[in-house]
Amino acid sequence: MNREVILKLLKSPAQWIEERTGVVAFSAPLLFHHVPRSAKWWYVFGSATLMFFTIQIVTGICLGTMYAPSASNAWESLRFIDEEIPFGWMLRALHGWSSSAMVVMMAIHMLQVFMHGSFKFPRELNWITGVFLLLTVLALAFTGQVMRWDQDAYWGLGIGAAIVDRVPVFGDQMRALMLGGPIIGGETLNRFFALHVFILPGAAIALVGLHMTLIIKNGISEMPKPGEIVVPSTYREGFEERMKKTGVPFFPDAVQRDMVFCGVCLLLLVFLAAYYGPFGPGGMPDPTLINTNPRPDYPFMWIFGAVSLLPPASETAIMLVAPVVGIVILVAVPFLANSGERAPSRRPGMMLLAVVVVMAIVALTWEGVTSPWSPVMDGWSALPTPTQFVKGRTPLQMQGAVVFQFAQCRNCHELGGFGGKRGPALDEVATRMSPDQLIRQVQQGGGNMPAFGKNLNSAQMTAIVDFLSTLHPENEADSAIPGAQLPLPIKSPLTMNTVSSGAETPAGIHSR
Amino acid sequence: MMSPQTYRLLACVLVFSAIVFAFVGCDRLHGKPTEAAPTVIGSPSWTQSTFNTSCLGCHSKGAEGAAIPLMNAGYWKVATDAHVIQVLSHGQGVSMPNYLDSDGGPLTSDEIAALVKGMRSMWGAGSLGGQGAQGGHAGQGDISATVVAGDAASGAKVFATACASCHGTGGSAGSVTDPMYLRLISDQGLWSAVVYGRTELGSPAWNQPMPNHPTGLTTTEVADVVSWIAQARPVSKAQGQAKVQTKSQPKNQNASDTK
Amino acid sequence: MSDNTKGETKKEGCVGCGCGGGGGGRPAAVPQDARRGFMFKIGAGLLGIGGALAAVPIVGYIVGPARSRYRNQWVDLGATTAFPSGQTRFATFLNPIRQPTDGDAAKTACWVRCVEAGKFQVFAINCAHLGCPVRWFEQSKLFMCPCHGGVYYQDGSRAAGPPPRGLFEYKWKVESGKLLIDAGRLPGLEESV
Repeated sequence: MNREVILKLLKSPAQWIEERTGVVAFSAPLLFHHVPRSAKWWYVFGSATLMFFTIQIVTGICLGTMYAPSASNAWESLRFIDEEIPFGWMLRALHGWSSSAMVVMMAIHMLQVFMHGSFKFPRELNWITGVFLLLTVLALAFTGQVMRWDQDAYWGLGIGAAIVDRVPVFGDQMRALMLGGPIIGGETLNRFFALHVFILPGAAIALVGLHMTLIIKNGISEMPKPGEIVVPSTYREGFEERMKKTGVPFFPDAVQRDMVFCGVCLLLLVFLAAYYGPFGPGGMPDPTLINTNPRPDYPFMWIFGAVSLLPPASETAIMLVAPVVGIVILVAVPFLANSGERAPSRRPGMMLLAVVVVMAIVALTWEGVTSPWSPVMDGWSALPTPTQFVKGRTPLQMQGAVVFQFAQCRNCHELGGFGGKRGPALDEVATRMSPDQLIRQVQQGGGNMPAFGKNLNSAQMTAIVDFLSTLHPENEADSAIPGAQLPLPIKSPLTMNTVSSGAETPAGIHSR
Repeated sequence: MMSPQTYRLLACVLVFSAIVFAFVGCDRLHGKPTEAAPTVIGSPSWTQSTFNTSCLGCHSKGAEGAAIPLMNAGYWKVATDAHVIQVLSHGQGVSMPNYLDSDGGPLTSDEIAALVKGMRSMWGAGSLGGQGAQGGHAGQGDISATVVAGDAASGAKVFATACASCHGTGGSAGSVTDPMYLRLISDQGLWSAVVYGRTELGSPAWNQPMPNHPTGLTTTEVADVVSWIAQARPVSKAQGQAKVQTKSQPKNQNASDTK
Repeated sequence: MSDNTKGETKKEGCVGCGCGGGGGGRPAAVPQDARRGFMFKIGAGLLGIGGALAAVPIVGYIVGPARSRYRNQWVDLGATTAFPSGQTRFATFLNPIRQPTDGDAAKTACWVRCVEAGKFQVFAINCAHLGCPVRWFEQSKLFMCPCHGGVYYQDGSRAAGPPPRGLFEYKWKVESGKLLIDAGRLPGLEESV
């Protein structure tokens, strides 16, 4: 026996190791398990996700050797990695782009599984571990954004803290637990660092292991065919029968498509990282630098969009309840429909649901990117009044145009395609509103517009309304005022003004 | 002899390693973040970007914008640094905000001085004129000395001959004696409007020869007509002419009628 | 992760994977050894007590910050003369509750409105909607938020947009010509009305 061992040892060190570790015996089913012949290009997304996750671990560990997880140094250490360490910027770029790619791949993978009904018996737990992997990866993405420790990270934490703060009764404590103290500071960064490099990756690795074990255990589902119905009592036997007869080994048959797809993804990733470089860090995390425009990373842009479109009255409830409901629904998916048809053509309702969800997320992301609800903070001082709106205006109307800029109207209203989108564009406002209506709107606000009555004097009010009354297509007359081109065009605003706002009756208005 | 397969393999290895070594060799790819150059206050790019975010909204170039364009060599000829710094720091009239930080604005006094210097070097082709404000074409001398009280009675005559055809009753350009208008514009603003107009928009500049006024208007004539127009500005105990004319008043008090 | 169905599945290739050590597989042959059962109980008890004792500091360490042992303090914003009557000015201070590792994050900003001489309103920089930094616009006398477009009047009351309430206000007092505010904790819904 000894001689045999030695012979084997001499012949093949790998076998020697195998005898002591069982590595091959352990991984053989991973490699050679049979997968359906029909599993083709639809099945590559999970592998790509796993590849990106591996890249995350490798690059993440590398970054960990240089990153200073301390609120006083983190930002500088990132600048140092970017500028001084050879390829430091490239590692950051790979880590950042791979993170986005992983989220995208995961979403596509999940969508494919949903559309093919692959979550049905016996793969309910495959789906559920996948849901928790999704949550873990999103948490990694959010905590990763915090690692950048720039202004977006700081104010992103502020947004997170404000949401947590809205939890009834325990909001304050939960916020302190999240921030590690009463403010966003050193403890906050370290808390998120521990999450980002220890807790969440650990959870992700465990979940990936579980997910893979379940794949081996339950097999890869076949391409759905209309009429091939999942019946839990007979499914397993039928499946194993079919695998034996028509299945192909994962290695080297099925794996080739994964390899091609992953290779393309990897090249694309390297290109993106090399060409576009790392994300941030943005401005220094100094909360007194308030000329900032905080935006979350792309995976969270749709949430950013959603919270600004919620009706303020029910906002808190929706912000706190919707995520829980969403997770519960995701987890419940395989239990709500764990047998029956898998083919998309036989599940039109589910397909519609998937399309609606995807479209909603895309639309909300687009809303978040364009942020039409955000004022253009320097619109008033940076965007000139276009020529067509100052040409041929009277001196008073020109002053009205100045007041329009001065009173920051432009921050929320477009003229000639430039300006805020919070309020309606005013290019043709005179066709919609009479001077009286304009005065009321400017003075009293309403419809999500502040009241300017107290902040504009009667001369400013008269001038701005006179100016607004000229905003119409060129071939139309100034709104509702016949003969508006005459000198002293507006009579009604004067009377209206003196009557309607007693508080700011212009003192010298009638004296000449 | 090597087989074709070996050649192919060798070629692959060579290409592969060439790609990898090329990549190793350049840590200078497109994506590498460049070290952000520190902003130099007063540099042309700083001046331009500060102007673009803080001034352009009203003082645009050419026909755009509602206030007097600053890209106007004539203006820079008469506007001393001290004058522009004063206006920029503390605002002017009703609608020119104050930019000095101690007044609640966004710029330090150093930045304001640098901005004025930068704007002058960009648009002020000529040097400052003499200090005298008497005689000759309007638009010469120190602007702050030019806006002086004129003789309203003779101003009425100037208005009748020079301005009334467009700005008089029934004129197409709109009234300049509208009290609402006058409450929004300072005498300085009236002066600039008369002297520089908005030629791109068809309003004449009276420092230029005009059909019936081969010499344009003289400094005295401008002062007179401004005085006459300003007479129509309503006066009250709390605010009014004095206030609108005061250049050093903090902006927010000007902006409100009440109190 | 122990898997009861392992034995039943014939196709299962994972038998030799060594992950079966968790449950009661191997000791199945154990006789009715009273001492072993006793030892098991003792072991479980010791581990339980030790684990609980060790868990106290661990949980306490993590949950500690949630116990509100941090108190606001009066912070000096400087002479009241820096805040002219009728105006709203930007002010910064170093947070009195801070750690050595906070870096720039300990800096805090606020808006000080001097309503009239000796009467102030001090607003937190954080929008009441989701905490983004609001900016003051002197000309229109409005605070605007760059995130979701919350707008407030000069007295801090909500003017437009999604905020559920007006701006957070710090308590203030004037002592020997200086404006002090009661600051520290990140303003939140529990803070002053």
